[in-house]
Amino acid sequence: MLKVCHLYPDLLNLYGDRGNVIAFVQRCRWRGIPVEVLEVNVEQPVNFADIDFLFLGGGSDREQNLMADDLLKRKDSLKEAIENGLVALAICGGYQMLGRYYLTHEGQRIPGLGILDLYTRAGHKRLIGNIVIEMTIDGEPVKVVGFENHSGQTFIGNLNPLGRVLAGFGNNGQDSLEGVRYKNVFCSYLHGPLLPKNYRLTDLLISLALQRRGLHAELKPLNNDLEEAAVKAMVDRLL
Amino acid sequence: MNIRLMMAVLAAKFASFISRRFGWKGSSLPGVVARKIYPGTLRDLAGQARRGIIMVTGTNGKTTTNNMIANVIEAGGFRVVINQEGANLITGVTAAFIKHADWLGRMRFDYALLEVDEASFPRVVKEVKPQFVVVNNFFRDQLDRYGELDKTVQLVRDALKTLPDVHLVLNTDDPLVAQLQTTTGHPASFFGLAPHQRPDNGARQTREARFCPRCGKELHYDTYQYSQLGSYACEDCGFQRPTPEVEAALVETAGTALRCQVRYPAGQVQLAIHTQGFYNLYNALAAFTVGYLVGIEPRRILKGLLRYKPAIGRMETFRYNGKPAVLNLVKNPTGYNEGIATLLNIPGTKNVFMAVNDNDADGRDISWLWDVDFEYLADNHRDIEVFVCSGLRGEEMALRLKYAGVPLEKITVVRELAAAIKEVLEGPGESTYLYSTYTALWPTQKILSGLAVKEDLHAEGLSSLS
Ligand SMILES: [Zn+2]
Repeated sequence: MLKVCHLYPDLLNLYGDRGNVIAFVQRCRWRGIPVEVLEVNVEQPVNFADIDFLFLGGGSDREQNLMADDLLKRKDSLKEAIENGLVALAICGGYQMLGRYYLTHEGQRIPGLGILDLYTRAGHKRLIGNIVIEMTIDGEPVKVVGFENHSGQTFIGNLNPLGRVLAGFGNNGQDSLEGVRYKNVFCSYLHGPLLPKNYRLTDLLISLALQRRGLHAELKPLNNDLEEAAVKAMVDRLL
Repeated sequence: MNIRLMMAVLAAKFASFISRRFGWKGSSLPGVVARKIYPGTLRDLAGQARRGIIMVTGTNGKTTTNNMIANVIEAGGFRVVINQEGANLITGVTAAFIKHADWLGRMRFDYALLEVDEASFPRVVKEVKPQFVVVNNFFRDQLDRYGELDKTVQLVRDALKTLPDVHLVLNTDDPLVAQLQTTTGHPASFFGLAPHQRPDNGARQTREARFCPRCGKELHYDTYQYSQLGSYACEDCGFQRPTPEVEAALVETAGTALRCQVRYPAGQVQLAIHTQGFYNLYNALAAFTVGYLVGIEPRRILKGLLRYKPAIGRMETFRYNGKPAVLNLVKNPTGYNEGIATLLNIPGTKNVFMAVNDNDADGRDISWLWDVDFEYLADNHRDIEVFVCSGLRGEEMALRLKYAGVPLEKITVVRELAAAIKEVLEGPGESTYLYSTYTALWPTQKILSGLAVKEDLHAEGLSSLS
C-alpha cells in the first residue's frame, strides 16, 4: 500500500493541481498497486515518515500565506522525512516555500522552510506560457511539457535542476534551468498539470516510492498513446 | 444638436459598414472609432433611455440573463437596446447604442439592457448610470489568471459604491453576490431557490467561497445548490443568506424544458423556460425579478420567458437524423460541471463531443480542465456511447477523460472540428451533447448548422407548460 499525501487541497486548488495526484494514483491502480490518498488541510495532523508520496501545490497569495503559516509549524518533521528520502513533488508556491526565502519588491525577506538551498525574488514581469524542458530519466533525454505562470524568479545555486528549458522561461527566465531535484524531492513551475502528460516522470516517482519501501520497483508497462500525443502536440507547436 | 456626437456616430456607422464588408465579425471597431472622435458618445446615447438602464454582470450566465430580461421587457411592451453577446467590454457596449441610433445620433428606446464584463464594469458605470444592476454569481474563471476571485468581487463592489442611486438585483444563494447589499449600502431585491430543489445530486466539486465574504471565517452550509450556491450562514459575524423576495420551488425538468413554482411578494405563479440546465433557473429568476421591479404584470413576464430562445451555444438545440444535438459553451469548471450534470439528468444514451482550444479568448492555460469533475461523468459513463475530443488541445481533453476513468475504447481524438462533429453526430447514442470552449464555439455552431437542423422549440408541444 502506497500512501499519498495531498497537502492543503482545500487551499491550493488552483491550476488543476489535483491532476498530479489523480495521475499518480491512477497509474498505480492500473498496475494493481494499492494506494491510499490522505488529504491534509491546515491544522490537520500528518506523520511525514509514514508517507510514500507527498504533493504540495500552489495557490493565490492569500491562500499561500495560510499554507505557509501552517507549514512552518511542520518544518522539522518535513525536513527529516525529506533527508530520509521522502518522494515529493512541489509546484509553484510549494516549490518556493521549500527554499530559504522569498525576496519581495520592497526588499523584505519572507522566510521559507529552508529545506532546499535556493531562494526566490519577486520579478517585474510574470513568466507565463507553455513550456518544454528536457530532463534525464533512466539515462535517456525526455521532453516534459507544461504551462508556467509565476512572477517569482528562483535561483537554485549548486542544486541540480529538474531539466533544461527548450522553450519557455523556467526558474527565472535567465539561466535556462527549470525546477530542482534534491534527493527524492522534485520541484517545478510546470503546472498544466505536470504528471498526467509526462508519464515517465510519474512512473519515476512511483518507482522511487516503491524502492524506498523495499518493494519491487519494476513497473508493468501501460498504454501511453494519449499521453504521448498530448506531449507531441505541444512539442510540435513550440520546437 | 451635438455635432461631435453626430460625427462620432456617422464615423462609427461607416466603420461598422467597412468591418462587415470585410467580414470582421464581432469587431469592436465602431465603438473604438466613436469614442476616439467623441469620448462622450456612450454617455450621450445611453442618456436617451426614456426609462432606464439595466446591467447584468457576474461570471456565468450574463448573456442568457440579459436575453431573458429582453424577452420580459419586450413582453411588457417596451422598446429596448441590447448589446450583442460577447460585446461586453466598453467598446462593445458603445457599439450597441450606435447600431440603434440614427445618423444624427438620436434614438428612441425605453430600456437599455447591457451585459457588462466584470473587469469592464467600473469603466462602463463611469459613463452610464444604471437604474438596476443584476449580479448572478461569481466563480473562478480560467481567464482570471491569478485565480484571485476576491479581486474581481472587490472591483464590482467598489464600482457599485460610486453609484449614487441604483437598485441591486442579487442572487441570494451566492454569498459572494449577496454580500453586495450590505457592503455597498444600496437597496436590493434578492432571488433564489428554496433548498433541496435539485433534481440531481450535481457534481462533487470544489466550493469557491467557503469563507465568509464579510469576516473571513468559514461559512456553514445547510444545503448546496451547486458550487458555493446554497443556504449558508456565518456563525462568527451573523452574515447569512438573505430571505429572497422571489423564490423558486418545485423544480421539474420536462424533456428539454424546466419549470418551477415562483413565489413573489404579490403571489405565486408557475414559470417555464424552454432550455436545459439547472443554472438557467437562476437566470430566469433574475429576469422575473427585474420584470416585477419595473412593473410588468407577472402574466406578461411569464410569456416573455416562455419565448426565450437559447443564444448560440447556451444549450442550443439542433436535430440530426431526428435525434437532438445540444451545443453548450464551457468557460470554467463551474460551468462545465453544470453542463455535465444537465447531460446526466437527461434519460437515454448519448454521444459526447468536447472541443478545447487554447487561444487568448479561451484562456491559454487549460489546466482548469483538471478542476472539472469529469470523474462524476466517468462514474456514469454507461449511458455514454462515445467521447469525441477535438480542438487545438483535443489530446489533452482525451487525457483528462482517461484519467477520470473513462474506458479508452470510448475515447477518440479527431483534431479537425468538422470531421469530429460528423463523427459524433453519427454515434449510436439517442442524443448528442457538444461542449466547446469560446473560440471553438462559432466554428462548431457553423458546422453543426450545416449538418443539422436548428430546432424550433415552439413548434413542439411544450405550450402545455404555460
Ligand atoms: Zn462572517
